[in-house]
Amino acid sequence: MKILRVADASFARDGVDLIAPFSLALDAGDATEVGQPTALAASIAARICAAIVRPTHGTVYVGEYETRLQPPQAKRMVGFVDASGFAGDVHALRCEVAFRSDVWNLDKAAAQARATQLLEQIGDGPYARGIVLALVADVALVVLDQPAKSFVKKVRRLVPEAAVLATLVAGAASAPREPALAAAR
Amino acid sequence: MNEFRATIAIVRRHIDRRFAIDWAMEFGIVAAIAYAFTLTFAHPLFPLAIASVLAAASAAERAHAETLRRVTFFAMPLYGRQLARAHAIAPALLALAIPLGYTLGAFARTHVFPAQLFAAMLCSALVATLVALSATFRDGARAWLYVVLASFAGPLVALPFVLLGTHGLALTYALGLITAFFALRAFGETLARYDPLPAL
Repeated sequence: MKILRVADASFARDGVDLIAPFSLALDAGDATEVGQPTALAASIAARICAAIVRPTHGTVYVGEYETRLQPPQAKRMVGFVDASGFAGDVHALRCEVAFRSDVWNLDKAAAQARATQLLEQIGDGPYARGIVLALVADVALVVLDQPAKSFVKKVRRLVPEAAVLATLVAGAASAPREPALAAAR
Repeated sequence: MNEFRATIAIVRRHIDRRFAIDWAMEFGIVAAIAYAFTLTFAHPLFPLAIASVLAAASAAERAHAETLRRVTFFAMPLYGRQLARAHAIAPALLALAIPLGYTLGAFARTHVFPAQLFAAMLCSALVATLVALSATFRDGARAWLYVVLASFAGPLVALPFVLLGTHGLALTYALGLITAFFALRAFGETLARYDPLPAL
């Protein structure tokens, strides 16, 4: 079964198209990149695939769940990393892990141990912390919003069975979006 | 998914140091207003209007709105109505500061404050808070419209108490319960329809 199926998904606000229709399909263990002309469009595409934003047109399925009709079920399968990552320090990260373990109904101690282990493997930095938070729960799809290339490889190594989708600003794939990301590289 | 555990986690996230400061400030301001004006404006509609306006303004406040709009909340595997219930608890607790503050201020001035008025104020403040929550996911005129609606909804549900006195309190609570139910549903719908776009 496909982990992610996007069919002609687009997003418009106030009659203005913010992203053009795009389609893709991902199996478990696959990784792909979605290029968009602007950072805003890339973020919207990532959020559409993570079931956070509903597409204006087209459909998105995460596993068997249509993101417009069953968003909680779809979100449960997704680990989403925002473009800015997680800005808090290590203490804030531990608090956030505790919060997520409550919301996702995970064992708190196991979640903290997993977060510590992931942080050791992936390195520190805002984006790395964002990835750690996304992977605290057992997810089938990891959506990375404008990551550095190295993070895609690291995530694939950490969760080889999960599908990985990364958005990028087309033509600026090698240029970091934020200084923090550059530092994280 | 354990909805209760998720709800408690979200409520605990909202109840932080800033929340405590806001609660104390709201309590103090309302107590000062009550102390200064309780003799001048003795009609029960005055404290009810104060409670509603302050509760609406507090619930729809921009910093609070920005907190609720964080993408973290929308990435959580919860339905809009579940998120709405969790988000509504902290503002409802904040709204408690208003009738409590007013009671303290008025009591300090007159050494008497009817418990029924406190109950009606509590009802007004909670209704205004829940109606105003829908403003947090709207901008501009539409957000203001919800604040105005909330400011009027509070005294309106308390109208039976104002007109009939103690005998109208039960009707006030019945109206308040119905209004609060629909306000919370509307907030849940607003949350379910909201698309958290990145601010770039």
